[in-house]
Amino acid sequence: MKHNPYAALPATVENIIVETSNITTFTFRPEEPIPFKAGQFVELSIPGFGEAPFTPSSSPAVNDVMDITIMRVGAVTERIHALSKGDTVGIRGPLGQPYPLDKFKGKEILIVGGGVGLAPLRALFFALAEEMDHYKKIILRYGARSPGDIVYRNDVATAWGKPKVDLMLSVDKGDEGWKGNIGVVTTILEKNKLSINIQNSVAVVCGPPIMMKFATIKLLERGYAPENIYLSMEKNMSCGIGKCGHCRIGPYYACKDGPVFTYDRIKDEPRIWD
Amino acid sequence: MAKQLKQGCTINGVIEFLTTGCRVYALSQTDSNYHLTSDEKWESDRHMLGPHRPVEPLKSILFPPRQGVGRLLEDAPHSSPKPAAVIGVKNCDLASLKIHDYVFRDTEPKDPYYIDLRNNTLIISCDCSRPCDVCFCTAVGDQPFPESGFDINISPLPNNQYVLESGSEKGKKALDSCSDLLEEASQDAMKARDTARKAVYKTVEEQAAVKGLDGNKNYQNAVTGSIESHLWERFAEDCVECGACNFVCCTCHCFLLADGRSATGTSERVKQWDSCLYKNFARVAGGANPRKYRAERLYNRFDKKFNFFKKVLNIYACDGCGRCIEACTGKIDIRDVLKEALDEA
Ligand SMILES: Cc1cc2nc3c(=O)[nH]c(=O)nc-3n(C[C@H](O)[C@H](O)[C@H](O)COP(=O)(O)OP(=O)(O)OC[C@H]3O[C@@H](n4cnc5c(N)ncnc54)[C@H](O)[C@@H]3O)c2cc1C
Ligand code: SF4
Ligand code: SF4
Ligand code: FES
Repeated sequence: MKHNPYAALPATVENIIVETSNITTFTFRPEEPIPFKAGQFVELSIPGFGEAPFTPSSSPAVNDVMDITIMRVGAVTERIHALSKGDTVGIRGPLGQPYPLDKFKGKEILIVGGGVGLAPLRALFFALAEEMDHYKKIILRYGARSPGDIVYRNDVATAWGKPKVDLMLSVDKGDEGWKGNIGVVTTILEKNKLSINIQNSVAVVCGPPIMMKFATIKLLERGYAPENIYLSMEKNMSCGIGKCGHCRIGPYYACKDGPVFTYDRIKDEPRIWD
Repeated sequence: MAKQLKQGCTINGVIEFLTTGCRVYALSQTDSNYHLTSDEKWESDRHMLGPHRPVEPLKSILFPPRQGVGRLLEDAPHSSPKPAAVIGVKNCDLASLKIHDYVFRDTEPKDPYYIDLRNNTLIISCDCSRPCDVCFCTAVGDQPFPESGFDINISPLPNNQYVLESGSEKGKKALDSCSDLLEEASQDAMKARDTARKAVYKTVEEQAAVKGLDGNKNYQNAVTGSIESHLWERFAEDCVECGACNFVCCTCHCFLLADGRSATGTSERVKQWDSCLYKNFARVAGGANPRKYRAERLYNRFDKKFNFFKKVLNIYACDGCGRCIEACTGKIDIRDVLKEALDEA
């Protein structure tokens, strides 16, 4: 039969890294490589149970395995968290549009992440780091609820600590060991914490809706043009291919035209932050 | 070229011939309603062309309410569907295929399940002769008789005469193959068709006008312009979120891709009709919901039909079939909603 866009490819769980109390990174090995670009997502399914959209968090340069970082929040993610090494899942994708890296060339890239929203940004970071010469610098601002909620602790110090990378973390609530910034992520977007040539910069934001909303307001305040703010829109998705109607934002389908949108394209649509 | 019956031939004979070897979907009457039923062949004692559209929308054949789309992780069990013919399709249902074709056939990635059913189904449409009292196709830019989009169209005329016309290569071949039964339509027959069509058009136009609607109205501006109006809350008060309006609608295409297990334990994936009036249609994990309130969901339905599809395809995703008016548990009449939106925009 012709290509069936509803069918998933089997993939086995190869590795499991517990990131926080409710976030785990799984390494999947699909039956055939699934090449993707940073920003694209996949639908991950538990056979006979359900499917949900996730963004690969590993480097797009690696094809044969794929990391997906998943927060346990409901029915499907609960089942995913119960997986063991060797179990089989389904992966459908890649879906959606990638980040337009061509437009990022020669610029300072500000990456703003909140909570599990760092997952797609990690794939983006790896993609940028692959061709670092093309970018002026990468500035990463990440907020988590508490030090215990910070994801990718294994990479942050090593892989991410490259020249031309300016990394700052913040937690809403610190503990005895925490020496970094305390406050919501917008506090590390202030002038004294973020020196950047805004005119030659793009900002890429992913996180919980409330965080995206306030980060966007802050970025606009700091002088970013709406067309230079890239937002990952988390909408209810079912088909992931622009047919089922679930993810509509105005004239767009988040699954097909997104999931990343520049703010100018969606700012006039009703209730984009919900 | 238009055809008519040869002396002594019947329309039943022609339809039987045209649908030989096909599964047949045709109209039959129960009480005052016409239903779309599925049978092994054309049964002239039960089946009819029908005076207006049936209760069930045409989409239910090409985009079934619940359709297996493969067992997850395995090759989809897929055999080409048996050739089928739908007989008596009215123009509202025919027009709705523009939406489904766009969604499932013409935009990537293509849906092979829809395409197979579409390609395997001969569409024999028919002019409306007696519209339902809820029909308002003329007010949304459509008309009660088909001029394109069919394989074969049949126009019933007085005196048991018919004009038959092909609208596709497939239809032309089929009509050509019944040369024993058909001959070139006479000028008189064509004139009679024209008269009949005009009369029915006028009937629909008049009943739409009673509701304050006509073909010159801009429903896109009316809907988007009334987004802040309380009209949505007022109408939504009567909505019980049954989803009937979506399910009977000839254009509504939304579905849920759902996973489950069959009785034998194999995993199954199905594409099943969904309703944008359901509370959780747009809800995301954690409980956030961009359309938490019923009024927002009702507005969304109209926005999708009169704004989204106007933008992406330059047509309304409403063909004025009036099915939602008959089906709505809350007695919400789309014509009243549109009229108020026109007044308030
Ligand atoms: C593009 C995109 C990328 C994402 N990337 C990530 C990521 O990298 N990491 C991450 O942790 N999260 C990510 N998310 C969020 C993730 O998809 C949700 O957390 C996940 O869908 C929650 O599913 P759940 O069943 O556990 O939650 P629930 O709250 O149980 O369900 C969430 C939604 O899915 C629907 N749903 C639930 N079960 C079914 C079913 N069987 N069939 C159909 N619909 C159902 C519900 O209607 C509900 O609206 C992403 C979301 C999007 C849109
Ligand atoms: S919205 Fe109502 S009148 Fe319009 S096509 Fe759908 S069911 Fe028919
Ligand atoms: S048919 Fe009427 S009551 Fe049912 S969901 Fe539609 S608008 Fe609401
Ligand atoms: S998820 Fe089906 S249209 Fe976007």
